[in-house]
Amino acid sequence: MTIVIGFEGSANKIGVGIVRDGTVLANPRRTYITPAGQGKSNTRGLNDGLYVTSLSLKTAFAAIGFLPSETARHHRSCVLTVLKEALEEAGIQPEDVDCVAYTKGPGMGAPLVTVAIVARTVAQLWGKPLLGVNHCIGHIEMGRLVTGAANPTVLYVSGGNTQVIAYSKHRYRIFGETIDIAVGNCLDRFARVLKISNDPSPGYNIEQLAKRGTRFVELPYTVKGMDVSFSGILSYIEDMAERMVCTGECSPEDLCFSLQEVVFSMLVEITERAMAHCGSQEVLIVGGVGCNVRLQEMMEIMCKERGAKLFATDERFCIDNGAMIAQAGWEMFRSGQTTALEDSWVTQRFRTDEVEVTWRD
Amino acid sequence: MSTRCCLYADSLTNDSKLTVPFPSEKLAWIAQRSLSPDPEPRKGGISKHVSVTDSILNVSWMADEARILRVSVSSFLDHLALVLETMEAFGPPSVSGLK
Repeated sequence: MTIVIGFEGSANKIGVGIVRDGTVLANPRRTYITPAGQGKSNTRGLNDGLYVTSLSLKTAFAAIGFLPSETARHHRSCVLTVLKEALEEAGIQPEDVDCVAYTKGPGMGAPLVTVAIVARTVAQLWGKPLLGVNHCIGHIEMGRLVTGAANPTVLYVSGGNTQVIAYSKHRYRIFGETIDIAVGNCLDRFARVLKISNDPSPGYNIEQLAKRGTRFVELPYTVKGMDVSFSGILSYIEDMAERMVCTGECSPEDLCFSLQEVVFSMLVEITERAMAHCGSQEVLIVGGVGCNVRLQEMMEIMCKERGAKLFATDERFCIDNGAMIAQAGWEMFRSGQTTALEDSWVTQRFRTDEVEVTWRD
Repeated sequence: MSTRCCLYADSLTNDSKLTVPFPSEKLAWIAQRSLSPDPEPRKGGISKHVSVTDSILNVSWMADEARILRVSVSSFLDHLALVLETMEAFGPPSVSGLK
């Protein structure tokens, strides 16, 4: 019996999850929500006053509307409460824990450090080994656990990442990805143009509005080989949204509907191509955008046509959470991995294919 | 506790020193190991060293500019406070009333 506790806080959610041999014992989470329309919706000059090293992260996170320092403050203020909740809900004592896992990256620097510090401190206080986990691997392993998918082609779609991934020879290999911003980032920033609420999330609110859309507005469709691009679509819709809505050419609902149809079609296309390439008969959708039911429907249609099976999870496990870090940590720990304290630094950039998958054949 | 937390800064050289007493050497080392792994975010311009003597945590900074020093010290204090809170909540009984 192995119990792993996982700490996640790479973006605007802070979560602590506890997993015992494939069973999620607890998975509490808090989300830092900013008011609607906050931040800049313009892509130019986004990096003002922000500290993030990677250009993609810079545009991505600035644009979602939560700043690294404020998000870190949010995490600091509630991480210990969430940790206590997790232990209570799981009904375990710290001495029952076998390993303390935390998100090493990718994500925003300040929130990552905040959560890593708590993980390092409790690991030492409890005398338990520490384990740094790749956030993307956390999503994949949680998706596999919850759905039972054995060897799926994975579509990982969230506010900071858009990747099509398949497993081969001890790596999760990236078959296709965004060449600029993440799909969730595109949706979040579009939501800001229309002043759509960030509660519970901009993507959720777009999905609800899209259900009432009746007219399809033509938008640029940008698939480049195995990769996708969303920044052009975003600029286009940002430029014309106000005019079209004011003149009554279309409604905000129509725009939400059209944007979803276009970006999700692009994702389905590259996923299908990766499946054909790998001869895969399973698709797993993970990441925050993965709980969008319309995306799941469109993927399901493609899967049916190919005689493949779709696996998706709901918001408890799709959206960033502690249990996913605990689950990936569980697999890693069982295969003999741990992270020495001096190597436990966090990193804003950490690609999915950098991790050697020691727990799969 | 007899000794007190002390922050010293030299405005001419942009050096800064911080000493923080802990209830035990063990806890001081835990803090040191929790706060040391992450390198300073900016490339160059600042160096930070965290060490332990007996039960006291010593931190020293050397920076090119006061602005960079201020950011680093203030973020370190936030992180230190979080370590102390974590120790209070999950550490041995001797830690209560640490802050």
